[in-house]
Amino acid sequence: MANLSLKSVRKAYGEASVLHGVDIDIADGEFVVLVGPSGCGKSTLLRMIAGLETITGGAIEIGGRVVNDLEPKDRDIAMVFQNYALYPHMSVATNMGFSLEHRGASKAEIAERVKWAADILGLAYLLDRYPRQLSGGQRQRVAMGRAIVRNPQVFLFDEPLSNLDAKLRVVMRGEIKGLHQRLGVTTVYVTHDQVEAMTMADRIVVMNAGKVEQVGAPLELYDRPANLFVAGFIGSPAMNMISGEITQGGFAAGGVTLPLPAGLGASGRATYGIRPEHLILADDGLAATVNLIEPTGSETQVAMTLGEHSITGVFRERISAQPGETIRVRPDLDAIHLFDAETDNRVE
Amino acid sequence: MKTDLSPRIKVALYGLMCVLLIPFVFPTWWMITSSVKPISDIFAFPPDLWPRRFDFSTYAQVFELQPFARQYWNSAYIAAIVTAGTMIVSSMAGYAFARIKFPFSNAIFMVVLLGLLIPSEVTIVPLFQMFLGWGMINTHWPLILVPIFGAPSVFATFVMRQFFIALPTELEEAARVDGLGRFKIFWIIALPLAKPALGAVAIFTFLHSWNLYLEPIVFLSSTQMFTLPQALTQFTDAYGGAMWNIQLAAATMTAIPVLLVFIVAQKQFVEGLAHTGLKG
Ligand SMILES: Nc1ncnc2c1ncn2[C@@H]1O[C@H](COP(=O)(O)OP(=O)(O)OP(=O)(O)O)[C@@H](O)[C@H]1O
Ligand SMILES: [Mg+2]
Repeated sequence: MANLSLKSVRKAYGEASVLHGVDIDIADGEFVVLVGPSGCGKSTLLRMIAGLETITGGAIEIGGRVVNDLEPKDRDIAMVFQNYALYPHMSVATNMGFSLEHRGASKAEIAERVKWAADILGLAYLLDRYPRQLSGGQRQRVAMGRAIVRNPQVFLFDEPLSNLDAKLRVVMRGEIKGLHQRLGVTTVYVTHDQVEAMTMADRIVVMNAGKVEQVGAPLELYDRPANLFVAGFIGSPAMNMISGEITQGGFAAGGVTLPLPAGLGASGRATYGIRPEHLILADDGLAATVNLIEPTGSETQVAMTLGEHSITGVFRERISAQPGETIRVRPDLDAIHLFDAETDNRVE
Repeated sequence: MKTDLSPRIKVALYGLMCVLLIPFVFPTWWMITSSVKPISDIFAFPPDLWPRRFDFSTYAQVFELQPFARQYWNSAYIAAIVTAGTMIVSSMAGYAFARIKFPFSNAIFMVVLLGLLIPSEVTIVPLFQMFLGWGMINTHWPLILVPIFGAPSVFATFVMRQFFIALPTELEEAARVDGLGRFKIFWIIALPLAKPALGAVAIFTFLHSWNLYLEPIVFLSSTQMFTLPQALTQFTDAYGGAMWNIQLAAATMTAIPVLLVFIVAQKQFVEGLAHTGLKG
């Protein structure tokens, strides 16, 4: 096992710069999730760590050793691909033992390691099958078995669950997490699914357009997003963003004045962020016109208009209001986020 | 057929297929039956679908008039070497064009493909000069070297390249992570998966070599060295008239490996073409 450190890592395809200097330090045994919108460079970064893409600038260190110029096989990493990339013409057992076989391990050792991995993943009864005879979830497990079998320093996952149905995804999410707890191998996991990121990560790296926007523990990102992008990206439904101005009497924004916490140092133009789940039904609240009500049973999601702004609220209560009627809501003062209008960065 | 068709449509379809079959099957049937007819019966009109008299001595005469066993062997071993050689050259070249980045690879591939556009009749004279210079006239070398490095191999390279391009790159990346170098990735991962395409290449290369006619008559001069298509033209009487029944007996024997290849390998052939996107 080893720590992994990226130092101003850059990637360009010809003229086009894809990663503009990424710095991340990952501790030994940590489970780090890279999230970000499609095309932001997650896969590229992961493939650079694996050695499948060249590094345009900066350095990647695994266990204190710069690996920039090492072949993938010499980096002591294992990778699980989105489409699993199992060798179709080899049995499950051969697939899993393949890397050991080509590193000169003895037959007995290979058999022992494959059995060990198969037992952990519940694959023992599938060892003689071929990949085409497996279900999606089983293929996923075999791909993980192939990764753990030779005890690498770092696991790399690129959207490993995106080909599975929603239910199986939840199951496999738990299995991957359990595997990590059991083996304690440093893991970098790419996904664009923020629920996966929130539930699995020790720390999340939020990326956007080739840059790291914020690195932190899941709840840290949720509670204190460093900028508008992270605020909008983490959390579902997304945070309400209202632009306006900080004044003495509150936050003045297109027809409404939103309350601000007392003793706020900042002033001037800003963006006011409040998560849907941090709006509270209150008789002394602001009047909002209901547009749409979506009850899920455990909670009620309401799309409404507040002043000139369309916002979303999520409430534990059941709401019987009809579209066009007025309800009164107020933001939870402890859960308000303010972002500078110029820089989009968080202001306290 | 997997789709459920009403019996009436089924009957109609099979009827249509039977009719369409006639122009394909009749010549072969005529060849086989005529090979055991006395020469006078062959051109009877209307043609007899079943010989009135059987004369199997034609098959023995084939071997008396020509060193036919020797010629059969010539065709067989040349086709075997050409097939093996083309499979090696085309799979490696196709893989390189599909996967290895090197300067001007696409331009070079285009130039290679252009070779397909030049008819062999155009190059046969310069080739003759070249092989004459190398002292290879009236040897089998030209019949081996020209197909392996000529048009059939170019076509095979194209087929293999298309197949390798369609192979998911993740498989090879997984193999790289698992510790394989370029050649082993080709040999252990890509090539075994290319079996259908390779099968198609093997079949059409074998047939092409087996049927080769222009090159043997240009490069070979002694009957001992002849290949089968060339030998078939040699069954003539003293006045140059064709000895039809003997020639057809030889032709029947010549066609046997071709029929065998198709019967044994037709599934693979169709699969291979489907894989390469050559079939709609
Ligand atoms: N071989 C390449 N040549 C040029 N540009 C590339 C190449 N590979 C990727 N890119 C570009 O790099 C950027 C990042 O791609 P990448 O695959 O890393 O995105 P991603 O974050 O993994 O997205 P997704 O969530 O859709 O998988 C994209 O804009 C893409 O167009
Ligand atoms: Mg990706």
